[in-house]
Amino acid sequence: MAGADPEKLIAKADKLSVYILRHCLNLLISPSVTSSTRLGDLSVLVERTKLTLTRWSADWRNATQYYEQAVKPWDAAKHMESAAALAVELSIWNEAADFYRRASELYNECGRSQPASDALAKGARALEDHKPEEAIAMYTDACALLEEDGKENMVFDIYRAITSVYIKLEKYTDAATFLLRWAVAANKCNALHSQCKAYLSAIIVYLYAHDFQEAEKCYNDCCQIDTFLSSDQSHCASKLLSAYREADIEEIQRVAKSSTVSNLDHVIIRLARKLPTGELVAMEINSLEHGAALDEDDLT
Amino acid sequence: MGVIDLVTRVDAICQKYEKYDIDKQKDAINNILPNDAFAGLYTAIESDLNQVVEKSEHLEERSANESEVASAEKNRATAVAMNAEIRRTKARLLQELPKLQRLAFKKVKGVSKDELDARNELVLALKERIEVVPDGATTRTQPTNGLESSSSNGKIKFNSTLDETYDHTYYQHTDETNNFRQEYEMRRLRQDEGLDVIAEGLGTLKNMAQDMQEEVDRQVPLMDEIDDKVERAASDLRSTNVRLKDTVTKLRSSRNFCVDIILLCLILGIAAYLYKYEWNLML
Repeated sequence: MAGADPEKLIAKADKLSVYILRHCLNLLISPSVTSSTRLGDLSVLVERTKLTLTRWSADWRNATQYYEQAVKPWDAAKHMESAAALAVELSIWNEAADFYRRASELYNECGRSQPASDALAKGARALEDHKPEEAIAMYTDACALLEEDGKENMVFDIYRAITSVYIKLEKYTDAATFLLRWAVAANKCNALHSQCKAYLSAIIVYLYAHDFQEAEKCYNDCCQIDTFLSSDQSHCASKLLSAYREADIEEIQRVAKSSTVSNLDHVIIRLARKLPTGELVAMEINSLEHGAALDEDDLT
Repeated sequence: MGVIDLVTRVDAICQKYEKYDIDKQKDAINNILPNDAFAGLYTAIESDLNQVVEKSEHLEERSANESEVASAEKNRATAVAMNAEIRRTKARLLQELPKLQRLAFKKVKGVSKDELDARNELVLALKERIEVVPDGATTRTQPTNGLESSSSNGKIKFNSTLDETYDHTYYQHTDETNNFRQEYEMRRLRQDEGLDVIAEGLGTLKNMAQDMQEEVDRQVPLMDEIDDKVERAASDLRSTNVRLKDTVTKLRSSRNFCVDIILLCLILGIAAYLYKYEWNLML
């Protein structure tokens, strides 16, 4: 034990020193140049290097200075990311979160949203276990970045991560909300299968939270959309809801084992397998009362 | 009632009770020539045949009369038993017929030639009579035979015998039919199970295929980006190569070339000098 400790301490000290060095380097490198000039540099750069009628060879000499200016935030961002990774290893969570955010900002200054969101996602993944709320905030920002840029294709993984974190935290309504947002994103990039899967997952999450009315409402809302209405997932959902209404536990379990449900995300599958949560008998009475109330209204 | 009616009635009654007329029977037996085996056998077969016909008629009467379902089973059983007996007797009689036929050709004293010829025909007629007797087994073959014969004769016959000759045993569930039905059901169940398995597999395949489609769709814009970047890099490389070539050719300019030659000559001179010097030393 005596022998191990000093070694560990030395290793830690090494890492810390590197980390401090990187930190200083970043502070030096990322000067107070506004983002507009950065973007301006890039466009100028593109102009200068493009070949036109008057310019028959790329004007590299003049272009290099712009290159140097443009490359600064990219390098800075890369350094920031590595600093943040070190911070994660040293378990300094606040600093890590800050560094990842700064890195994504720098990437954004370069005009590249994909690496920016990647940086945020990496940070969030690192913080999932220790600071879940912070992680969720970072994930949401990452989604917003990509959606602004019109790259909805890439957000699916982020939404998956968000829902898994929420389910771990047992915040089921939030999870369902994000699943519906996922469905919207899927709809925008024409991924209809993912959209239907997202809707089915939302219904299952509501049922798991033992909120039958919400689940039914969700199902009715989703049925307004044609693609969902005519899909396997909607059949599955209707079977599940009818099984709940009739309080048939075996039917619920059979639907949960069906191939449609087994094709969803594994977190959702786990929820579905555990499905009938709580008492089922109460559901029937509730739905009957609901029906009776409606009839009375109609008569009057 | 006239005299003729009386006479016919008396005749019918005498015929019915003929078997009790011992005198008549004795006469009949005495009339038969002692060596005429044919006649003896013929009468024996005829009497048996009459008995069989009686039995079958009795059976038909009973089947026509019965109406209850409860007694139907018992009646059916007795009908089956009687049919079996009739069949046995028929078979026995048919077996004896060839013997009779052989006897028919034998010459016997006291029987005229015409009678001999007639005997053969009598035997054939007897055979037909035996076969015609209904015994519940040959019902199906009869109509077809009738049809065949009609087609060969060129006449069209409507076989109404079909309805009458199908009796209850025809529609009964025998063991064979039950087994067949069971097997059919089993095979159907197994087919259903197989189809279920196939359906599940297909469902999984569909899901996987749809996921793959979405993944590929997601990668298409990325590939386009890569394509652009690689093209730009390639063009940059090409231009760089060209410039490099220019630079290298420029490097091999005359000035550098002369310097190279001078240095080379210098080295050769030094080498020659050393060589000469050493040569002198050695010698």
